[in-house]
Amino acid sequence: MNAQVRAEFLKLRTTRTAAALVGLAVAVTALIATLESATAGTGRGMAIPSLATTAGLRDALASTGFALITAAVLGTVIATGEFRHKTATAAYLDQPGRSHVLAAKAITAAAAGILLGLAAAATAAGIGLGFAAARGYPIALPAATIARYAAGAILGAGLLAAAGTGAGSLIRHQAGAIIAVFAWGFAVELIVGGIATSVAPYLPYTAAALMAGVASGGGMPPIARGVIPLPFPAGVGVLAGAAIALTAVAAATAARRDIT
Amino acid sequence: MTVIEACQLTKRFGTVTAVDRLSFQVRAGTVTGFLGPNGAGKTTTLRMLLGLVRPDSGRATLWGKPYAYLRARRRAVGAVLEASGFHPGRTVRDHLRVRCAAAGIARSRVDAVVEATGLAGLAGRRAGTLSLGERQRLGLAAALLGDPEVLILDEPGNGLDPAGVTWLRGFLRRLAGEGRAVLVSSHLLAEVAQTAGQVIVIDRGQLTWSGPVSQLTTATGQAVVVRTPRAAELRAALAAGGAAVRELADGRLEITGAGTEQVATLAAAMGLPVFEISEPAASLEDAFLALTATEGRPG
Repeated sequence: MNAQVRAEFLKLRTTRTAAALVGLAVAVTALIATLESATAGTGRGMAIPSLATTAGLRDALASTGFALITAAVLGTVIATGEFRHKTATAAYLDQPGRSHVLAAKAITAAAAGILLGLAAAATAAGIGLGFAAARGYPIALPAATIARYAAGAILGAGLLAAAGTGAGSLIRHQAGAIIAVFAWGFAVELIVGGIATSVAPYLPYTAAALMAGVASGGGMPPIARGVIPLPFPAGVGVLAGAAIALTAVAAATAARRDIT
Repeated sequence: MTVIEACQLTKRFGTVTAVDRLSFQVRAGTVTGFLGPNGAGKTTTLRMLLGLVRPDSGRATLWGKPYAYLRARRRAVGAVLEASGFHPGRTVRDHLRVRCAAAGIARSRVDAVVEATGLAGLAGRRAGTLSLGERQRLGLAAALLGDPEVLILDEPGNGLDPAGVTWLRGFLRRLAGEGRAVLVSSHLLAEVAQTAGQVIVIDRGQLTWSGPVSQLTTATGQAVVVRTPRAAELRAALAAGGAAVRELADGRLEITGAGTEQVATLAAAMGLPVFEISEPAASLEDAFLALTATEGRPG
């Protein structure tokens, strides 16, 4: 198992894919945070709360929604890359225990997702707090709340990346898996959450976004309106459960599938 | 010593029976050609040997155990089943480092295998920029990382130029000479005839013949050509033994119903000088076609 995890980390370090996805997540987070911060309190278009308010600062700090989805994409790419590049054969010859291979991928994806989430949270915090400071506003949120949003983004990204490996292992086709992740984040959860708000906090992206501070009805991708967030530990539990369940289903399925 | 054994292997994909009660053995110290036309079930069989495809029935073992139960399996078995099984953006050296890490093999083996496969000058190149021949070499390099006792190669000569084919033949012979068992699949008999000592021929998932290459023409009634100044004596002796003998326009004898070894042994026993004894390539191909019934079969 340790050998598989080492190999998975080496795979990530020796191609540009992971770095490119982290770069994309940071760039889009920076763009969203900058737009949120620059337009906060201006009153143009829809009323946007000022950075001097808790809602305004929270919206800027919670610009990590796209990064959360990108973390899930990173997980799917880690899993589907083996099939896209026909390296699954070698991977399963090195370690015929398919559950071991998938567990190693989930662990590696979680670690990479945590780094991605950290980079995105730092970017959002830097931009949001920088704009607030530049405008001479006092910091409208307690430090503990800011830290909780950052922790939510970091843990959420890690666990969504791990869940992404399970989804990728089940779908196998890389482009299909990436489209599925975006469709899930931008459409499925919004629709399901809109229909059943009591179910919404238990949906993976919504749970992660709420942990990262995204307000119900906001975010990019947006989450459904009227959703009551779960307590932080419960949100982590929901995401961990989703990652473990998806990995377990993927492992059970992989054990039965032929590698042709 | 038998290293690889397939016993009544059967695999169906839907309504298609890809491999049908296939049994064979592969010994150490030989190159064994695993032959059959496209779609005969070669790749499926190799994947069953390596635990990648689950048989519907039958057993596939190495040293008496399923692949997954082997200890230090990558030091025991090296395999190339995909001509391009690597990330195109990863360098040759990094690809091999990944394989070492995953298989628990010392990283120092990377330099040894790139040297052995002639990739030393390409170690820093991205795999996606390699030619087909270089990719085949990279696959072989990865298979050799564990210095394995068994090599299983699926169509390693595909796409190689003549120089590459020559290199591959010598390379495989050398590996077998070191005592390893080498199982090489191909859909071209001529490709493995110069390398393999043994051949296993399958068609439509079933075994049609297995044995030494030298007996292949005998088994299928294909010809052996002999040139001797005492042709009449040899002809009479062969005819008495039941072989059919025809004299060619240049005076050589074309014999069917007796293999090279039998003809040579008989000639030696009679004290006849033999200046040439051969199985023309066309005859080997004819034998292969006869065994696989592919002549006239489309695609």
